[in-house]
Amino acid sequence: MAARSGGSSSSSVPTLPPPCPRSPPEYPDLYGKRREAAKTQMLEREISFLEEELKSVEGLQPASRFCKEVTDFVMANSDPLIPTRSRKNRKSCRFWKWLCGIPCFNLSWICCCCYSACSCHLKCLQCCDCDLCNCSSCICSLCKCRRCSCGSSEHSSCKCSSCDLPSCKCSSCDCTSCKCSSCNCDPCKCSSCDCNPCKCSSCDCNPCKCSSCNCNPCKCSSCDCNPCKCSPCDCSSCKCSSLCDCSSCNCSSCNCSSCKCSSLCDCSSCKCSSCNCSSCKCSSLCDCSSCKCSSCDCKSCLSCCTIPKWRCKCSSCNPCHCNPCLSCCSIPKWRCCSFPKSGCCQKISCSRNCCIFQCPSCTGCFCCKWKCSCPKVTRCCSCTKTSCNPCCLFF
Amino acid sequence: MPVAELKERHAAAIEAVNDLRERLKQRRQQLLDTDVAGYARSQGRSQVTFGPTDLVCCRTLQGHTGKVYSLDWTPERDRIVSASQDGRLIVWNAQTSQKTHAIKLPCAWVMTCAFSPTGQSVACGGLDSMCSIFNLNSATDRDGNLPVSVTLNGHKGYVSCCQYVPDEDIHIITSSGDQTCVLWDITTGLRTTVFGGEFQSGHTADVLSVSINGANSRVFVSGSCDGTARLWDTRVASRAMRTFQGHEGDVNTVKFFPDGNRFGTGSDDGTCRLFDIRNGHQLQVYYQQHSDKEVPLVTSIAFSISGRLLFAGYSNGDCYVWDTLLARVVLNLGSVQNSHENRISCLGLSADGSSLCTGSWDTNLKIWAFGGHRKVI
Repeated sequence: MAARSGGSSSSSVPTLPPPCPRSPPEYPDLYGKRREAAKTQMLEREISFLEEELKSVEGLQPASRFCKEVTDFVMANSDPLIPTRSRKNRKSCRFWKWLCGIPCFNLSWICCCCYSACSCHLKCLQCCDCDLCNCSSCICSLCKCRRCSCGSSEHSSCKCSSCDLPSCKCSSCDCTSCKCSSCNCDPCKCSSCDCNPCKCSSCDCNPCKCSSCNCNPCKCSSCDCNPCKCSPCDCSSCKCSSLCDCSSCNCSSCNCSSCKCSSLCDCSSCKCSSCNCSSCKCSSLCDCSSCKCSSCDCKSCLSCCTIPKWRCKCSSCNPCHCNPCLSCCSIPKWRCCSFPKSGCCQKISCSRNCCIFQCPSCTGCFCCKWKCSCPKVTRCCSCTKTSCNPCCLFF
Repeated sequence: MPVAELKERHAAAIEAVNDLRERLKQRRQQLLDTDVAGYARSQGRSQVTFGPTDLVCCRTLQGHTGKVYSLDWTPERDRIVSASQDGRLIVWNAQTSQKTHAIKLPCAWVMTCAFSPTGQSVACGGLDSMCSIFNLNSATDRDGNLPVSVTLNGHKGYVSCCQYVPDEDIHIITSSGDQTCVLWDITTGLRTTVFGGEFQSGHTADVLSVSINGANSRVFVSGSCDGTARLWDTRVASRAMRTFQGHEGDVNTVKFFPDGNRFGTGSDDGTCRLFDIRNGHQLQVYYQQHSDKEVPLVTSIAFSISGRLLFAGYSNGDCYVWDTLLARVVLNLGSVQNSHENRISCLGLSADGSSLCTGSWDTNLKIWAFGGHRKVI
């Protein structure tokens, strides 16, 4: 369109505005409306559900009926976590049976007492009748009935060495759950055995009496039974080596006076004879990686470190060949295997002691030093004293 | 319909819903003639009592370097899996306290873990919004890590809780911050059913916990930040079977009662409650008065096998053992010797009910039962 030039114009034409882009049209907010409609729909649906529920509530029975159901259900079911003091002899026995009745290697995981040679801190309930706590197959000699296996019903004799509370176990009984309920003192520990509580390997009777020697009663310093007064203490069952504080104790098979390989030892100076790891506590509890069986060098032989050594299944451990040598079963195998067994004695009990006797050199007459009371001892020709004469024995 | 009319209708619907809820609440209140404690007292029930050595910590499982957030037992009760924000799942042998697996997670922010019914695999989930499944029998990769065998991807929010459907290794239910619960088919990695969510009648806030009914695995209950617990049937996704009101704060944890007809909840309002799934009754409230104003939150709960005991972990480090019949605290595991040093974030009872495992922000797990203690690192 030609611009107007100067001069006169015959007609006036409106001037159109210059072209410019148009803004987009405003669309309705459909999404918002739909969303609002959906919410409303949801609410109306909720209204119908609530009305439905209100109708159903009209026919409901009061809560007391359902409270009764809860109570009845709870009372009808037993619970392993609930103390059963009122039923201690029965239900707790069953529980202890379940706890201790399985061989320890596969023992119920919850059985602290049977784990790793039974460093038990459990208090065995008064399961006098229970045959549960007699896991002969398991290491835990702890899991024994409070009633002594000797059959003694004299519970009053069952006293912890550290306190006189009757809940503590008899030194001669195997019940390792001996534990003062009012204190946490370890149950009495027989110095003559590794297990805890005090258990003479040579006898089960009370008082602790080594049948192989006539020291009577065998009283370990760590327990209440008469201190081990084997003179010298040669009782294989008297594990003075581990726990004996008796100065006269001369367990010849072990010179480790501080070796507290009993499963419950917590002496900081305890040293396994096979290692110098000062933190190495009882073999059953030892978690020191450097702890080794003396008879084997397998560091990985965890069984050596966690269970009594006689049960060590490490192939490099020297197996004990003395079948009737029951002492082998109750003392560390390294002891048994390190020393020859005396042939003088035929008695099973006697052989235990023999097993820990050192092989005499016979250069001098050691006969007098032996205190074996085995009647079958042959007297040394050069010695008139009635004592076991290993010089004449065959190994 | 005009927008204005729509908004009016929306407001009216809200008012109607509130009115109906109030009427329902009042009607239910009238039916609550007693609670479990009142009934038990009327029957002369005596309280459970614990001696000092009755329930003790017999194992301490050390190994995590971060807060423990979740744990689960195998049905065989001999293994435990735990999840920690150190980015690892650890599988423990509960008997020996040894670690059998230490699984490095793709996402360290894990919130939940679960053992499969066969014990062959473990599942976990967290802030990555995914549920990862690990097969414990798989070979490790060149870095020594166990690879993820299945990833369940689909949630639009964090995975707060997961549980395998009992007796099935192929189905798992997860709860999420996206307000839904999902039933997954592990073999395909796909969602079978979505419970709740947008335009569905479900939770209206983050879902924090699920518990599947041991007596009827088609039924599960969920707890949410909307203050409600909801009962679901896996065959019906469109709506919850029942909604349980009562809590005044987030419902952090839900657990079925051993009989399968009731379930317990734990909430930010400091209470635990027992509800009946068949009629919706709130049968009991478990609440301990505190002298200070701050009420500790309930973080986790578990029932003993008989239902007589309710274990509840709180944000202040307490772990109350409630006598469920008399609604009294009979023991505080948080204050006994050798207890945790920080909040107990998760609890779990073994399948046979003989022991309780607790996990804490102090990075440890502890196993409680009758007996002595052995600490294993």
